[in-house]
Amino acid sequence: MTTLLPRYFHPAYELDEALREEVVSLAVRSAEPSEADREEIVLKKLGARAWGRLHHFRYFYRQGWGEGAGKPLSPRALEGFHRFVEQFGFPEACTPSLFLTEAGHLELYWEDIRGGAIQVEFTPAGAEFYLQSTEREGFVSYVNLSELLRELQPH
Amino acid sequence: MAVQPVEDIVRAICTDKWDGQRCSASLFKGENTSVSRLSVIPLQHHWDMFRQNVQKPPERLLALIGEINVGHLQRVGREYKQPVEITVEPAPVDWNPAHAIIPQPITRGLANQIIRGLKLHEPPRT
Repeated sequence: MTTLLPRYFHPAYELDEALREEVVSLAVRSAEPSEADREEIVLKKLGARAWGRLHHFRYFYRQGWGEGAGKPLSPRALEGFHRFVEQFGFPEACTPSLFLTEAGHLELYWEDIRGGAIQVEFTPAGAEFYLQSTEREGFVSYVNLSELLRELQPH
Repeated sequence: MAVQPVEDIVRAICTDKWDGQRCSASLFKGENTSVSRLSVIPLQHHWDMFRQNVQKPPERLLALIGEINVGHLQRVGREYKQPVEITVEPAPVDWNPAHAIIPQPITRGLANQIIRGLKLHEPPRT
């Protein structure tokens, strides 16, 4: 029995050279972390307790939770939280706490190397922060998240 | 008429605000924060009332009850860097005649100061 290879057809059109280069450059750009990668990062950086609480907040807290006005976890707040956790280097031996607010925002709480509380609340628009050591509180949009990362990074 | 400074008030602390180690500032941050008056219902009766009306298993369980004196709460507000004149207003509801609210907006920084002044009660052993 003879098997014939399928005939090769020329494509009806060919990409312009410039477009082909664009395709190649997009192909090598680093991809966003997958859901599994993100879970791994949360587990590694925040520990099992916060990882479990995040799972709980995502899947069990529905509209009206708490005293009736609680909102479910905001997807944009969750995205901001992941971006922060991926980029931030927490102090060694630090096990941050994770909370859900009635507005559906996530809040991280840990201590700096001097024991001062650091709190960051992830809202759909940006991150609200509080530093006990300087009694400073403020807000940065996610476009300027790098500023907050620099400020909070342990020296 | 506002609750008098001599009174003590409590707030339910559930597992969304307490992870066994730290307490979230969102417990007091914001406005119209719900509290309950110990002069109307004693502490030991708050456990069952909060369990029946505030916690929602499996996601949200009552972990602790935080207690603070109204006069102390007001002093913390007045001495904060951006002073706030805190009041506690009675606001009874069907399930809790001792219910009251703190109507003023509380910032995260001030909420942290208030939390530091809380006396934390653990559930009574049965």
